[in-house]
Amino acid sequence: MENADIALALTAIACLLLRSAGVWLAGGLGADHPVIAWATAIAQATLSAFVMLAIIAPSGALADVPLAARLGGLGVGVAVCLGFGRNLLPALLVGVAAMLALRAILAGVA
Amino acid sequence: MGSVTSSRGAALFGARDAVGAAGIAMAATFLAFGAAVREAGLPPGWALVACWAIYGMPGQLVLVQAASTGFAGGLAPAVMGAIAVNARFLPMAIAITPLFGTTDRKRLIPAIPFIAVTPWAAAMRAFPEIAAQARLAWFLGFGLTSWVVAGLAALAGFYVAGMLDDHARAALLFVNPLYYALLLAAELDKPAPRRAIICGSAAAGLTIILPSSVGLLAAGIIGGSIAFFWGRARGKR
Repeated sequence: MENADIALALTAIACLLLRSAGVWLAGGLGADHPVIAWATAIAQATLSAFVMLAIIAPSGALADVPLAARLGGLGVGVAVCLGFGRNLLPALLVGVAAMLALRAILAGVA
Repeated sequence: MGSVTSSRGAALFGARDAVGAAGIAMAATFLAFGAAVREAGLPPGWALVACWAIYGMPGQLVLVQAASTGFAGGLAPAVMGAIAVNARFLPMAIAITPLFGTTDRKRLIPAIPFIAVTPWAAAMRAFPEIAAQARLAWFLGFGLTSWVVAGLAALAGFYVAGMLDDHARAALLFVNPLYYALLLAAELDKPAPRRAIICGSAAAGLTIILPSSVGLLAAGIIGGSIAFFWGRARGKR
């Protein structure tokens, strides 16, 4: 077995255990239990931190896109989402298009 | 509340929701992942199993990065890093379990593999419109569909890897965080999510001073805990 296969198997088992542990721990609790509210806040905060990092300090090909273009795409997407009935699909497409347009404009200016 | 009441209708509803904005975000992310797997010299089967068995992109990427260096930093640190960045599955599972409307844990076993960011966030948005007894069916419909989308997109990414230039990769990598940002933005009018979003975003700065493998988890725990106690303090006033 290759190292990559062993790493994949171990990580997959651990992820399954994390999910199962969460279901088992919460199985006897009501939706309004403070532990559930706390776990929900942690999950939402983790997702927010992930978004923040992926936009402000990304890795890979996105790191080559100017910060202004990334923030502009994010801002336009969120504005379309909030301004047009929280409809995600058009907001997503417009946000990506705005990021690419800003990137092209900034590349032309530089 | 609870306008969808039948399990069959809810499952179809979930499958439909999974091919909208969620499907595009999922496909874009896993397409980029498939390309990265090929560049790391791993086979397409590995990409598919990683998608379906781990089903958590940050952890998958940690393993691909480690594999691309031949696990130069060691196998155990790579695995520990992948588990740490996917540790959010635990609070997400705790948060979503009571919303399924059953205390019978065995009934929830089929849903366990699908507890990941995209189905979780979409469920938190969709569940108020679905009757409690039909939510598990919705989640399975959404999860199974997005699983298939993820796997097919990863395979497609593997085989088109050479055709993607930096512009295309940047666009693909931008779709995922933008989609999550939109899901969060749609929750901004509710006080508890708003507090968690503010605190989590502020706590993201912790990743600068902490190792990247634990930085995100620490930001989530600290930011989420502050948001939780902030809400409790407001509630007592």
